[in-house]
Amino acid sequence: MSDQPIEDLERRCPRLGSPIPFRYCLISGEDDAICWKILDCWWETFDVEGYLKKNMPEAEFNHLMATADKPKNKVSSIIDIIEKAKKR
Amino acid sequence: MEQRKIFLSEDEMPRQWYNILADIKMNPPLGPDGNPVTPEQLAPVFPMNLIEQEVSTERWIDIPEPVLDALKIWRPSPLVRARNLEKALDTPARIYFKNESLSPPGSHKPNTAVAQAYYNKEFGIKKITTETGAGQWGSALAFACALFGLECKVYMVRVSFDQKPYRKSMMATWGGNCIASPSPYTKAGRDALERDPNTPGSLGCAISEAIEEAVSDESGQTRYSLGSVLNHVMLHQTIIGLEAKKQMEKIREYPDIIIGCAGGGSNFAGLSFPFVRDKINGKEIEIYPVEPTGCPTLTKAPFVYDHGDTAEYTPLLPMHSLGHAFMPPPIHSGGLRYHGMAPTVSQLVNEGILTPRSVKQKEVFEAGILVARTEGIIPAPETNHALAAVIEEAKKAKEEGKEKVILFNWSGHGLIDLTAYDNYLAGNIKDIVLSDEERIESEKIFANYPKPQSLKSK
Repeated sequence: MSDQPIEDLERRCPRLGSPIPFRYCLISGEDDAICWKILDCWWETFDVEGYLKKNMPEAEFNHLMATADKPKNKVSSIIDIIEKAKKR
Repeated sequence: MEQRKIFLSEDEMPRQWYNILADIKMNPPLGPDGNPVTPEQLAPVFPMNLIEQEVSTERWIDIPEPVLDALKIWRPSPLVRARNLEKALDTPARIYFKNESLSPPGSHKPNTAVAQAYYNKEFGIKKITTETGAGQWGSALAFACALFGLECKVYMVRVSFDQKPYRKSMMATWGGNCIASPSPYTKAGRDALERDPNTPGSLGCAISEAIEEAVSDESGQTRYSLGSVLNHVMLHQTIIGLEAKKQMEKIREYPDIIIGCAGGGSNFAGLSFPFVRDKINGKEIEIYPVEPTGCPTLTKAPFVYDHGDTAEYTPLLPMHSLGHAFMPPPIHSGGLRYHGMAPTVSQLVNEGILTPRSVKQKEVFEAGILVARTEGIIPAPETNHALAAVIEEAKKAKEEGKEKVILFNWSGHGLIDLTAYDNYLAGNIKDIVLSDEERIESEKIFANYPKPQSLKSK
C-alpha cells in the first residue's frame, strides 16, 4: 500500500458518479453516518472491515454488518422521507 | 460498403412502452407500518397519473403524442454495429449497441425525464424538484422541464456541485435551478449545515431537501421526480429495447447476449426488458446486468483446500480462497440487491432470468479506453462496466469460434466525467492493492492444510 493516509484514498463513488476520498464515505450515510455501501466499494483497496472494526463503536459496527445486505426498498425510503418532511 | 448504423424513421418509433409488471410477479413495497404502500402515500410527491403507471400491470401503455414529439429531438437512436471494436478484438461476434449518448444531455436519462415532465404538466404541476449526484439526472430533468414549460429545482450534492461546474451550467442553460445541497432553503438542509457548515453533502440529504420542498408547497403545485429504480422509470426506458428489436429485425439479426450496466437499473431495463419478455416466452438469450465486483476473484486468491464455511463444519474442498475466515462484503452473494437497484431487475435476477456479472475497476476503464479508441465515442464511466463484459464475451466467442450476436446499451458519453479517465490514465485506478503483508496474514490459516494438485484433463 502507499504511504497515503487511508482517509485520503480516492475512488469513483458509484452513487454520486464523482471521485471522492474515503473520508467522505465515513460521513455520507443517513444522518451523517457511514455510507452503507462502504464495504463493497473499498474491500478491494484495503481491509476496510478491519479499519471500521477498529474505529467504530462495536454496536455501530455490528449494526453496519447486519444491515448492509438488507437495504430498504426505495419506495419505502421515499415514504419515510415524506413522513419526516411532513413533521419538519 | 459495410453498414454501420441501422436507423428507424420517426414514423417507425414505438407507440407504446412495454410494462414488465404484466409478465412478472412482485412483492409490494412495504411502508413504515409494515403494510403495502398505497397510492395515497406517494401522492404528496408524485402526480397520480405517474403513480397509476407505477402500479399498472397493463402490458402495453400508450406513449402520449407530446412525449413522442419531445423524444423525436434525438430519437429513434441509432443501432450501431461496432465494427472497429470487432476488428480490434478479432472476434467472430457481431457487436451492436444502442447509442443513447446522442440525447441533448448525453445519456438515456431523458427518456423518462420527458415523460415525467409531461405527466406532471398534465396533472397541473408547475415545479419539479429532484436530487442529483454527478448531475446526469439533474441535467436530463432540466432539459425535459424546459420542453414542457415547468420550473425545475435540482439539489446537487455539494461535493459534486463543486467538482462539476459544467453540469450546473447545462441545467442553468435549460432554465433549471441547480443549487448545492445542503442548502439554506429547507429544514433538512439547514439542519445539516448547522451540524457542519462545511459538509460535502450526501445523496440522502439532497433527496430529503427535494422531497421536503415538494411536500411543503401548500399550493400543491410542486412534485418530486426520481430518475431510476421506480417501475414507471423502467417503463419509459423500454423505448430503447423496443427500438432495438425493430432495428435488429430490419437486418434479420437477433441477439444471443444482451448486456447493460446496472446502477439503478434503468438503462439496463430499458434495453433488456422487451427481450426479457421473449425469454419468458421461450427464446434462448443470455441477459447480463453488469455491476462492479464485490468479492475476491479466483485469480486473486490462492488455490487451496479450505472449508466452505467459517465454522469449519464442511469438509475441506479444493477452491480458490482468501481463507474461510475472510469476511467478504455482503453484496457479492446474490448480486444486484442494494437499494439503488430497481426491484423489477432484482426480481428477474432472483428468478434466474437475468444473470448478474461483475467487473473490476481497472477492467472497466481499460474497456472504455479501447472502445473510445476504436468506436470514437468516450463512454460514460457507467457504460464502461457494460463494455468490459462485452469485450469478455467477444473474446469468449473467439475462443469458442462462435458467431454470437451481442447487443449492449451505450448509456451515455463521458465528456463531463473526464476526471475519472484522468485518474485511470494517471495510474490511480488499480484493482487489488492488498499489501503482501495483508495477503500473507489472510492466508496463514492454510499453513497446516493439505495442498491440492493443479490438475489438467488434457
